Amino acid sequence: MSKTVTLTIDGKQVTVPEGTLIVDAAKKIGVDIPVFCYHPKMQPVGMCRMCLVEVGRPVVDRATGQVVKNEDGTPQIRFAPNLMTACTTPVSEGMVVLTESEKAHDGHRAIIEFLLTSHPLDCPICDKGGECPLQELTMRHGPPQGRFPYEDKIHFEKHFPLGELIYLDRERCILCGRCIRYQAEIVGEPVIGFYQRGRATEIVTYSDPGFDSYFSGNTTDICPVGALTTADFRFGARAWELKAEASICAQCPVGCNIVFNTRREAKSGGRVVIKRVMPRQNEEVNELWICDKGRFVHHYTHSAERLSRPLMRKGETLQPVSWEDALRTAAEKFEAAGKEVLVLASGRLSNEDLFNLKALADGLGGRAVLYGDMGGGDLTTLVGVGQGTNLATLGAGDAILVIASDLQEEAPIWWLRVKQAAERGATLIVANPRATKLDTYASFVIRYANGDEVQTVLNLAKKTDKIGQAFAEAENAVVFFGSEGLGLEGSQRLAVACAHLLRETGHVGKPNNGLIGVWQRANDQGAWELGFEPVADLQAAFEQAGAVYIVGADPFGDGRLTLDGVKERPFLVVQEILPTPTTEVADLVLPAQAYAEREGTYVSGERRVQRFYAALPPYGEARPDFAITAAIGKRLGLDLEDGSAEKVFERLAVTQPAFENLTYARLAEVREQWPIVGRGDLYYGGTAYENRRGLGVQLVPAAQREEPVTLPEVQGEAGPRPEEDEWLGVPVTRLLDRGTTVLLSTLLHRRIGEPFVVVHPMAAERLSLAEGQKARLTVNGASAEVTVRVDETVSAGVVLVPRSMGLPLYEPMKVSLKAL
Amino acid sequence: MPVLEPLIELGRGLWTTFRSMFERPVTYQYPEQKRPVRPRYRGRHVLKRYENGLERCIGCALCAAACPADAIFVEASENTDEERYSPGERYASTYEINYLRCIFCGFCEDACPTEAIVLEDDYELSFTDRRSAIYPKEMLLEPVGPEAEPTPQRTPPGLYTRAVPEMEDPKD
Amino acid sequence: MAYILLRHREIPDIHEIDVYEKHGGFAALKKAVTEMTPEQVTEEVKASGLRGRGGAGFPTGLKWSFMDKNNWPHYVVANADESEPGTFKDREIMERNPFQFLEGVAIASYAVGANRAYIYLRGEFWPIAHFLDEKIAEMEKAGYLGERLFGTDYSLHIYTHLGAGAYICGEETALLESLEGKRGQPRIRPPFPPSYGLYGKPTVVNNVETLTNVPYIIANGAQAYRQFGTEKSPGVKIFSLSGCVNRPGNYELPLGTTFRELIFEHGGGIPEGRNIKAIMPAGASSSFIVATDEALDTPMDYESVPNVGAQLGSASVIVIDDSVSMDWVVEKTIHFFQHESCGKCTPCREGTYWMRKLIERIRHADGTEEEVALLKDVAMQIRGKCLCALGEFSTMAVVSGIERFAPDFEKAVATSSPE
Repeated sequence: MSKTVTLTIDGKQVTVPEGTLIVDAAKKIGVDIPVFCYHPKMQPVGMCRMCLVEVGRPVVDRATGQVVKNEDGTPQIRFAPNLMTACTTPVSEGMVVLTESEKAHDGHRAIIEFLLTSHPLDCPICDKGGECPLQELTMRHGPPQGRFPYEDKIHFEKHFPLGELIYLDRERCILCGRCIRYQAEIVGEPVIGFYQRGRATEIVTYSDPGFDSYFSGNTTDICPVGALTTADFRFGARAWELKAEASICAQCPVGCNIVFNTRREAKSGGRVVIKRVMPRQNEEVNELWICDKGRFVHHYTHSAERLSRPLMRKGETLQPVSWEDALRTAAEKFEAAGKEVLVLASGRLSNEDLFNLKALADGLGGRAVLYGDMGGGDLTTLVGVGQGTNLATLGAGDAILVIASDLQEEAPIWWLRVKQAAERGATLIVANPRATKLDTYASFVIRYANGDEVQTVLNLAKKTDKIGQAFAEAENAVVFFGSEGLGLEGSQRLAVACAHLLRETGHVGKPNNGLIGVWQRANDQGAWELGFEPVADLQAAFEQAGAVYIVGADPFGDGRLTLDGVKERPFLVVQEILPTPTTEVADLVLPAQAYAEREGTYVSGERRVQRFYAALPPYGEARPDFAITAAIGKRLGLDLEDGSAEKVFERLAVTQPAFENLTYARLAEVREQWPIVGRGDLYYGGTAYENRRGLGVQLVPAAQREEPVTLPEVQGEAGPRPEEDEWLGVPVTRLLDRGTTVLLSTLLHRRIGEPFVVVHPMAAERLSLAEGQKARLTVNGASAEVTVRVDETVSAGVVLVPRSMGLPLYEPMKVSLKAL
Repeated sequence: MPVLEPLIELGRGLWTTFRSMFERPVTYQYPEQKRPVRPRYRGRHVLKRYENGLERCIGCALCAAACPADAIFVEASENTDEERYSPGERYASTYEINYLRCIFCGFCEDACPTEAIVLEDDYELSFTDRRSAIYPKEMLLEPVGPEAEPTPQRTPPGLYTRAVPEMEDPKD
Repeated sequence: MAYILLRHREIPDIHEIDVYEKHGGFAALKKAVTEMTPEQVTEEVKASGLRGRGGAGFPTGLKWSFMDKNNWPHYVVANADESEPGTFKDREIMERNPFQFLEGVAIASYAVGANRAYIYLRGEFWPIAHFLDEKIAEMEKAGYLGERLFGTDYSLHIYTHLGAGAYICGEETALLESLEGKRGQPRIRPPFPPSYGLYGKPTVVNNVETLTNVPYIIANGAQAYRQFGTEKSPGVKIFSLSGCVNRPGNYELPLGTTFRELIFEHGGGIPEGRNIKAIMPAGASSSFIVATDEALDTPMDYESVPNVGAQLGSASVIVIDDSVSMDWVVEKTIHFFQHESCGKCTPCREGTYWMRKLIERIRHADGTEEEVALLKDVAMQIRGKCLCALGEFSTMAVVSGIERFAPDFEKAVATSSPE
């Protein structure tokens, strides 16, 4: 334990670790010192001067080194002649801090008055109004009347977009620099900065497109005024009109804790819709941040295209039918198919949905298949990170290996936390076939050729080079493995190799050690836990089935399934929230509720089970996935729970060893977190919500339960290599893709861009292609128009094809690329 | 004479009736004739316009926040120079008052930063169903003056640059 | 009296390296590097009582001794950002007597164990930077700079760096930020540069004039230096005299010389026989001293000037006579500080702007007595709340002007009218 210091703040004694700043010490005992530029997650700068307090220190006799006492025996305190900034002054023994004295109040009033001399009177229309630190602190500390004449205020142009996502209002900006420091210190992407000086200072962006960062939305949360606002929520509602409900972000496996702010909306016919997504504090998952995908991809929930009624095929078209008819038909067809039922579900579904689906498949003797092209989930259940893992506690002496994953594109908040761990001194090893943004922070970068994934891990396990040694000798080690350039088989083999590496170096079965899969969907890990596994040949599985039940997946849109050449097509039931190419070919379409409309749980990549809550009323006649499955099951005589998600979870917890003793109540437990943020004082931590609805519980991996863990043998190579005179297309993941749900957020279209491929400059030259040129990509007979991008870190002979961009490539395979 | 007594009484009564035939009537012939209201009468709301026809309302929803009966629903959108409703940065794209809820307290008037909403003289509020008790913006907006253009207007760039229009000498 | 700092006034060609050598140049550096330990050099400077000439008057030797010995490398930075209105002493030193300054930099570097020293010049000094670069090259050629000086293990390189012309970069931490290539804005102090300076390493930041004193102290000993000046403010100082005097210019005089001697003997008195009204002893950042007989007889040293309500600062004495109205001077100073405020901290950024609006109203529009009172109030409200001294300095002339020359403001209010 480090040394502690005891001091008195406003008459209350507090003992805090040495080096704590006065403002944080005060926060711990509930004394709110007003701040603007200070943020507990960033280095103090003392710019805004709002936190001025009186600071006194005990008088020390120079000769004896003893504290001079008053007559009554109390130590004599000498106060500094000037007020001091509580955000930059560390505490010291015996210090006395006055935050409510006349002098301190004068200081607060002075700073507020100064700030208001240049702040416009926009409060009635400002998006920050109602949750604005400046407003709040003006009410508390400001002068009753301003002495600065209104006509002397400086005016700037309103509606100044920093990029298409974030708008700046330079009049409102109080130049606290939180946003700039956030981008520089926390994200490491200093794309915004100050320009000019003095009163003319303004914030500018240096990037094209403007404010080019996946974390830009967070700056609007920590902005203490309405200077930075999102284009998405612009004038969307007043803060006090919004309802808040806790949820979990479903865009990637990080499982960021979020809040859906909802309100009735005229253009949606008076329905309650999500107006904005805000981060919810969970220091073990996402701290106070969320990425822009999580923040802006929510429009699909209130899309007018949503499926609202069951549809049944009548000839060429799908006709609305009653739920009763739909469920009866589904049950009949499944019963007829019996063992030939194929349930194809994706990691977009909650554990409860997946549990019921598995039970349905098992009950019929059919097959439950996970939709996706990444393997290794069986290994994460065995040697996944131990309970108690928190990336924020990794630092010097620890090691992190990120292999076959562009973490910023696939799981931005993990990227942020891995980066920070590296900055705290953790040995970061980034192994990827091309350069990624994480390379900057890596202690070691391994650039392997596509196909050498397994070999790369085996080389590390040999501990012959310094990288392998660094990993082996680390106190704690975490491996993130992804599916960059790999298909199902390749990623499965890579996971096996990683699992062996971890076990051989003793990094399994304890907190902060183990394997993390960078999955493509939010609950892929949950699906693996519940016994779902992907299949290599999905088309064959489809054709062999008598009836197929596709839930939360679009294999026909992704090019994974086709009806071309299928002689005897199985009866196809599709359960979805939005129409997709898959619902178009379905025989029966069942409308499901979006996850924001119902309760449930997800398992994050770090194997944390987290609850989400119903934020919206159900859309049309849509029902929760688990309830639909249960209703079909009941008609088949299966005992499935359809009462509530909680009831399903109770059964799940009984049958699944990993979920033992878990209940909804336990998942909803909260502990006090540091920093203390929330609605009580928005100026300290920003507008991120405090966590009142649960921090979640991490599952215990088999290795930590001290069960015998048998790992499969390491197998050969992860994937094919490009051969001479041919082009090997390999899949990569991008954050903003052309997925059905993402595309409905029109704001993001420019960032999503058109379908593209990436090749080495020399490859481009050989193909007579240049950056930005259009070309035709042909995969497996299907072809699409793409824009060519070049990257000299891509292997020669390889064409990177982003997933979910409308290009039908999901595992390494031969492609052809021709200039248009 | 006990026989005459009732007749006298009757005659007296009739006299009163007869006399009142020549008095001025206090009743109004509503609806042909309408009773004038007091100067500070609080009748149905009117959303005011500036002289040039632009709407005063900037969609701040402070009226809705002040409303003790939760009768007002406002949604805002952003003005552009091509399509301008109000001189500020935003305007009310949806403005509804539910007159089944409204208690005519006038708090909305007090809360309004641009004096856009005023409770005026109209008291003829009758509905045949609940839905028609909700007055949308079109019904609440003041008609455009003879000199003015209706909204949305096309305005020259750089003319309206403030987030909240500056108020000249706001009334009490 | 023989010059210690402005020696070029006696030896015009002292900027030539052979001339400088002939007049005892680099003897002090050689003595320090070959005969003395760094600690001895620091002790000698401590004993001389030399105090920083940039304005704060902090004992130089003491500053050197604060360097964190557990954190290396160390740096020396010469502050040649001379931007205070009315101060023009460093410029003369660097232009005319460059080797003595560079020798001082070298001795200071040796004393704190720095192998790299930087001279940070204000942007407008680019010809001087070129000139110094030439002189540094000459010293390197002659073996006074570079690797293994005088055959010892000690190596030193000196580099010049040009600022972009911002007053704030004369503040030592803003200077360091600017030198690092960042925005020239002050850092929070503490930590002070001797523990956290350039690139986060211990750094000594000294003014040009301070460093130019050092060769004399090392060559002749602390006691020889102490014969000049007063007990607590020993040595000589260059007084930059400007304003309403007949002979403005730099005057090298012992500390403790009176205002009267400087202004009337050396400066030749007030033009056209007018009366002296006020003195600004430290350029635009100083309070006005009411030029009474008592004030004029005050010795100019770090201890005495506060007795008449100001600070000695960089000793840039601006003389104001009775033809000048103080509200005009106050407007000039406010304008300067508003223009130079870096914008980092609120009170300075917003306060100087507010003060500027007020003084403009008072002087050029229909200002009122209330606005004069408000101006003083705003100035007082800035005080004690700023991140660095700039904000504080911006209020000095305002408060002392309104307090000590109230009639000038009353007149300004009475005569001003909307344009």
